[in-house]
Amino acid sequence: MRLVVTGPVSAGKSTFIRSISEIEVVDTDRRATDETTLLKHKTTVAFDFGRLQFSPNMALHLYGTPGQSRFDFMWDILIRQAHAYILLVAAHRPQEFRYARRVLSFMRQRSPAPVLIGLTHTDQPDPWDAENILIALGYLNDNHPPVITVNPTQPESVAQSVMALIQHYCETQAGVTQPSLR
Amino acid sequence: MSINVEKLSAILQNFVSGTSDVEGAALVTPDGLPLANTLPVGMDEERVSAMSAAMLSLGERIGSELARGSIDRIYVEGDSGYGVLTSCAEDAVLLVLASKAVKQGILMLEIKRVISELKLILI
Repeated sequence: MRLVVTGPVSAGKSTFIRSISEIEVVDTDRRATDETTLLKHKTTVAFDFGRLQFSPNMALHLYGTPGQSRFDFMWDILIRQAHAYILLVAAHRPQEFRYARRVLSFMRQRSPAPVLIGLTHTDQPDPWDAENILIALGYLNDNHPPVITVNPTQPESVAQSVMALIQHYCETQAGVTQPSLR
Repeated sequence: MSINVEKLSAILQNFVSGTSDVEGAALVTPDGLPLANTLPVGMDEERVSAMSAAMLSLGERIGSELARGSIDRIYVEGDSGYGVLTSCAEDAVLLVLASKAVKQGILMLEIKRVISELKLILI
């Protein structure tokens, strides 16, 4: 099963994958020279890849996308293969919500896969709460993807969100395959 | 001292116009931002830059992970031409686009030459 981790720059995508992968993560980090340097020194330029043997007959392949939109060809390649994906949003950087919304609509246009919204950096000063972030992402009514708070530096927290994502995937699969029963 | 961008562009321009069957060249940062380029019309420099960086970075990763050593160049061969990526000093990646008719030996030598020229300005 292939899961994609996406979101704006420095939301915690690479850290997320590093926290949970049981193999050494394949990363493609390069020294940042754009406005990314204000947030961190290195940035992903192709993808991050991690693997997790979830159960004896299920291996999870985790792919992390680059954050900057100039790498949208990588977003495109990765999302088309995804069974489900999680959008990480840094809750304390409201200026990025509009960009996160763009990422989300890019993904939705190309893939019907179920999505989970992960709020990161909630321990930072002045984080927004889930309700307001959903509005900022364009979900004005109750019909929105599940939201979860995740700390990418903590393996347990990451594991929890991966479980939630798989659960969400199974639920939507059940919904897709049994419409005729209703 | 700042990098002389005009000179970088001039070198690329000379390289593209002076080498037969070379159609374009772009110099980009390892994180995928344009530095200087002479590209065929219709190619977006931002996109080309990001792709070059992603490709070289993945290639280098393959080199180390699959024990191929350090990477000299990455070669993309299509039925209408070549794309050659070469790392150029610490902070730059050179992409050269050539048509199918190009003589590969000449192309490699010319790339080597232009890189040594570019390095003088970048370092």
